[in-house]
Amino acid sequence: MACEAEHSPLGMFECQLCALTAPYSYVGQRPPYTQSIVLLEESYVMKDPFTSDKDRFLILGSRCSLCGRLVCVGPECSLFYCRRFCLPCAQENAAAFPPEVQQDLEKKKSPRKRPSSQHGSRT
Amino acid sequence: MSLPRTREGRGPRDQPPTPSWEEARERWNWHHPEKRRLFEDAFFQAEGYIRRGSEECQKFWSFFERMQRFQSLRATGKQEEEAGRLRHCIPALADLPPTYDPRYRINLSILGPDAQDARGPAGSLPPERVSEFRGALLHYLDFGQKQAFARLARLQRERAALPISQYRDRILQTLKEHQVVVVAGDTGCGKSTQVPQYLLAAGFSHVACTQPRRIACISLAKRVGLESLSQYGSQVGYQIRFESTRSAATKIVFLTVGLLLRHVQREPTLPQYRVLIVDEVHERHLHNDFLLGVLQRLLPRRPDLKVILMSATVNTSLFSAYFGQAPVVQVPGRLFPITVVYQPQEAEPTASTLEKLDPRPFIRVLEAIDSKYPPEERGDLLVFLSGLAEIGAVLEAAQAHARRSGRWVVLPLHSTLSVAAQDKVFDVAPPGVRKCILSTNIAETSVTIDGIRFVVDSGKVKEMSYDPQAKLQRLQEFWISQASAEQRKGRAGRTGPGVCFRLYAESDYDAFAPYPVPEIRRVALDALVLQMKSMSVGDPRTFPFIEPPPAASLETAILYLRDQGALDGSEALTPIGSLLAQLPVDIVIGKMLVLGSVLHLAEPVLTIAAALSVQSPFTRSTRSNPKCAWRALESDHGDPFTLFNVFNNWVQVKSDRSTKSRRWCRREGIEEHRLYEMANLRRQFKELLEDHGLLAGTQAPKPGDSYSRLRQHRERQELYQLKRQHEEGAGRRRKVLRLQEDQDGGSSDEDWGGDTSQGAGDVDIQDVKFKLRHDLEQLQEAASSAQVRTRDQMTLLKLVLARGLYPQFAIPDPFNSSRKDSDQIFHTQAKQGAVLHPTCVFANSPEVLHPQEPEATEGKGSQDNRDPMSSKHQLLAFVSLLETSKPYLVNCVRVPALQSLLLFSRSLDTNGDCSRLVADGWLELQLADGESAVRLLAATLRLRAQWESAMDGQLAQARRRRRAAEEVVALSKELLQFMASKVPASWVPAAPWPEGQEPSPDTALLAQSNADLYSDCLRSFWTCPHCELHVPLTPLERIAHENTCPQAPRDAPPGAEEAAPEPLRKVSDLQRPYHCKACQKDFLFTPTDVLRHQRQHV
Repeated sequence: MACEAEHSPLGMFECQLCALTAPYSYVGQRPPYTQSIVLLEESYVMKDPFTSDKDRFLILGSRCSLCGRLVCVGPECSLFYCRRFCLPCAQENAAAFPPEVQQDLEKKKSPRKRPSSQHGSRT
Repeated sequence: MSLPRTREGRGPRDQPPTPSWEEARERWNWHHPEKRRLFEDAFFQAEGYIRRGSEECQKFWSFFERMQRFQSLRATGKQEEEAGRLRHCIPALADLPPTYDPRYRINLSILGPDAQDARGPAGSLPPERVSEFRGALLHYLDFGQKQAFARLARLQRERAALPISQYRDRILQTLKEHQVVVVAGDTGCGKSTQVPQYLLAAGFSHVACTQPRRIACISLAKRVGLESLSQYGSQVGYQIRFESTRSAATKIVFLTVGLLLRHVQREPTLPQYRVLIVDEVHERHLHNDFLLGVLQRLLPRRPDLKVILMSATVNTSLFSAYFGQAPVVQVPGRLFPITVVYQPQEAEPTASTLEKLDPRPFIRVLEAIDSKYPPEERGDLLVFLSGLAEIGAVLEAAQAHARRSGRWVVLPLHSTLSVAAQDKVFDVAPPGVRKCILSTNIAETSVTIDGIRFVVDSGKVKEMSYDPQAKLQRLQEFWISQASAEQRKGRAGRTGPGVCFRLYAESDYDAFAPYPVPEIRRVALDALVLQMKSMSVGDPRTFPFIEPPPAASLETAILYLRDQGALDGSEALTPIGSLLAQLPVDIVIGKMLVLGSVLHLAEPVLTIAAALSVQSPFTRSTRSNPKCAWRALESDHGDPFTLFNVFNNWVQVKSDRSTKSRRWCRREGIEEHRLYEMANLRRQFKELLEDHGLLAGTQAPKPGDSYSRLRQHRERQELYQLKRQHEEGAGRRRKVLRLQEDQDGGSSDEDWGGDTSQGAGDVDIQDVKFKLRHDLEQLQEAASSAQVRTRDQMTLLKLVLARGLYPQFAIPDPFNSSRKDSDQIFHTQAKQGAVLHPTCVFANSPEVLHPQEPEATEGKGSQDNRDPMSSKHQLLAFVSLLETSKPYLVNCVRVPALQSLLLFSRSLDTNGDCSRLVADGWLELQLADGESAVRLLAATLRLRAQWESAMDGQLAQARRRRRAAEEVVALSKELLQFMASKVPASWVPAAPWPEGQEPSPDTALLAQSNADLYSDCLRSFWTCPHCELHVPLTPLERIAHENTCPQAPRDAPPGAEEAAPEPLRKVSDLQRPYHCKACQKDFLFTPTDVLRHQRQHV
């Protein structure tokens, strides 16, 4: 493992909604870790910390296409539908999305979401 | 978002899919390996995100199958309804595709081969299959991203929830302003994992964090690496005795205290570190206390060095005050409320207090829990007992209760259990059943078990105490301290509110000492003093310990080191001492290593030294069983040789087929883990000896042909792969305990683990690590070369062990031959009536120690003659003397008595004609024949000097070994001759000290009372056979002359012939060449001799 190229962090990524922080080592759409994948948005990316495989990366987040807030990819903070939307913006403009996405947004809004119902739709 | 997921049932790959699905796919069979290969060729190239044949690739295909199944269900089920067209007024939203497709929710895309390009790798593939495949791959990647991100988010949530996270800024701020900070927090506050990360995040590097236990170094490095997201980025590493994950990129390293001290030994100012975290200082381990002292002295010289002491919230003022009122940051622990119930045991006269612990109070607690708490309320019980016997006693009763009630699984936990059996305490009990863990104080700090709701505290602990006078380790039972009691109680409140039953009165608790006795006050300090000497920290007596050790312990240690030749008369380190200081073993064993390599017996001695430095490999259940399998490997020369045989056999089995060794060990009743430790230790010893030039470096591996090199390389690659996979996997999974688990619970681990059902996929990770670390072929060569040992080698080997062990010798009681096998007793210099450990070979065959001459009178005539004149008297050299219920001799070797005493004793007193010898004022021998006694004594003197000079030569000029080799060959030869000499002798007094009676000083110290025997009247005329000198001489003077006679067939130092006339009174290690200016003569004198001699001239 001595030869492993250390992707030195460029800085700290911090989600402006949930304050999740993590060091990122690349911003853009062509992560240097691999040749075969492009990203569809300008993303903050780090090397996947959970595997020793060096070409694995982990997308941390990107800017909301509407308000420009930096948000993480966590489902509580943002959603991706062709572009990145932070959850507040998406909720505000729920009508602009197809029903499948609206449904999802609805679930996140209501505090009494039932994980079991999600399960049912997934399995 | 629609991620296909089935809970289980990823069927074998070639299982045919549902027929309807197959029809829908028009004979395109994704399960066909050939078809898959086409896609793998096209998409999973070497530089691709997923590589062919990798584990990732397999995972993808199983994901693919699940997704296919899911989609076929969807297709037959509901139809995708057309979404109404929506136009939005905000331009950024206006162009969102109105028809939903899960792909729009994926923020990445694959650059793959183009299906349109007929010449490309995907050209031959049907385009619709390519898009199907791409779609699946995309979902797979997205799924992986979501999983990893969720993991990251969860980690951060958990970190933020720890109590210590509130104190992060305060800790960092305080560290900025002070050189030393004490962070005091109780279990569960997160200090050990978080403080290092705070430092990392604040930009510190070159951080060392010490731990008292090796296992903690590994697990903390792993945890901190994971949490700080650099698990595979090598920022966080660990370093323990045999393993290191340190690299140039490492910013923080977890290491044992002992290892850090070794760094100090090499570089006293620790230039490679900027921050030191010393964890668990409150446990007051010997090394930790010493490290604190070293740091206290170092800090003024390293003003840039920061130190964080981490401790439980006990006695923090002690540490703070020791470092000039260093600030303390107090962090609350995270404990749920715990109810304390005092249940003092009434004195129950029926139970004999001495023999066995009464288990009834413990069973009453089990019953109380059964009746008071419904079984569906989970929560296990942890019982703290003082030792193994107590665990055994309660285990029996608790298992009986478990069988009656069906509501308990009883498990023992102590350090001599096998690793697998220890791990069992982490398994979960079936519903409605509780675990009852019977533990020593190992569960107080070292082992943390989740899910404990009830604690029973016996209030007792067995600790090793050390008797410096008898050099005896004693396992004694004590009341615990208040701090320990609180720690035990705390174990009940880690996962929810709990109850702690204290089987003593509150007034007892109040009477407990507030803190446990620090280790430095109860153990032998030999190793510590040696280390202090090698670190040049000055006189140990004035070292500023946080709490000084008892002065007597220090003095004993210094004296011992001088006796062992590690320190000289002025208490300075000798060459052998400085070597011993670097060997991480007992001084006795270190000496064996040095002696062995000097006599070219390194290979076997390495194995034996390693074997004696680890815990016994024999599993408990087989230890006392004289019929179990490993007994076949027993050596009647002594236990170290049994261990030696076991190790060599194991290596043999391993080199035959390495995976077989696990089974072999199980069959033989051997804990394989200990053998791995031996192998590691052996290698470390070897490297150390090589580093010091005592052993020729390992020869570079034979070049071999390119094929075998390639094969070796590939094998290693595979092993690394296996190791990585193991490390990435969750490790051992928790199992559900069976209700009847406890049937065999106490002892055996043979039935445990279900090894019989071991699948091919189950990797023996120990074996993998072993093969990565050792060249099995080399080890096997060493083992087999050592195994075909001649009798001569055995004799020399025993000499090496015995010389290393001296004065740890015991003499068999003269009445032993008329006693039962189990009643054999032995006497050491300080302890009468020691017995053999049941594993000891001599416990089963004591007759090999009895001195009967084979040619002695037939029958049992010698029964009355308790004082047989025999050349077969033997002594037992032992590695340790351990007192539990009785004083036990552990790891014994039998050695010829007379020769051993002559060669090893520090002082030998004789009478006029040398027919009586007293060794070290302790053992007295009567020799049958004065003439041969004198010859023997002469040889002794010569050999001792020769051996000494061979050692000095080797140590001083270890690099120029050639010259010394001949010297050693000659020495070995002479030693063998010496050992072969048969001089009948008998012990004096004939029956040494009827039991209970100490040897009386005036019989033991014969020479003192007989001092005036060395008068002229003992001189008789004698002619030297070499130089024909004819003078009246005492026997000792004759020896002196013979050893130095210029005509004798050896080269003797010049001017030696004049050394003869002065009467030689003592043969002692203290003798040094002395040239008297007054009479212009050379002598071999001890310091007292010098004084006495000088007085003549006054």
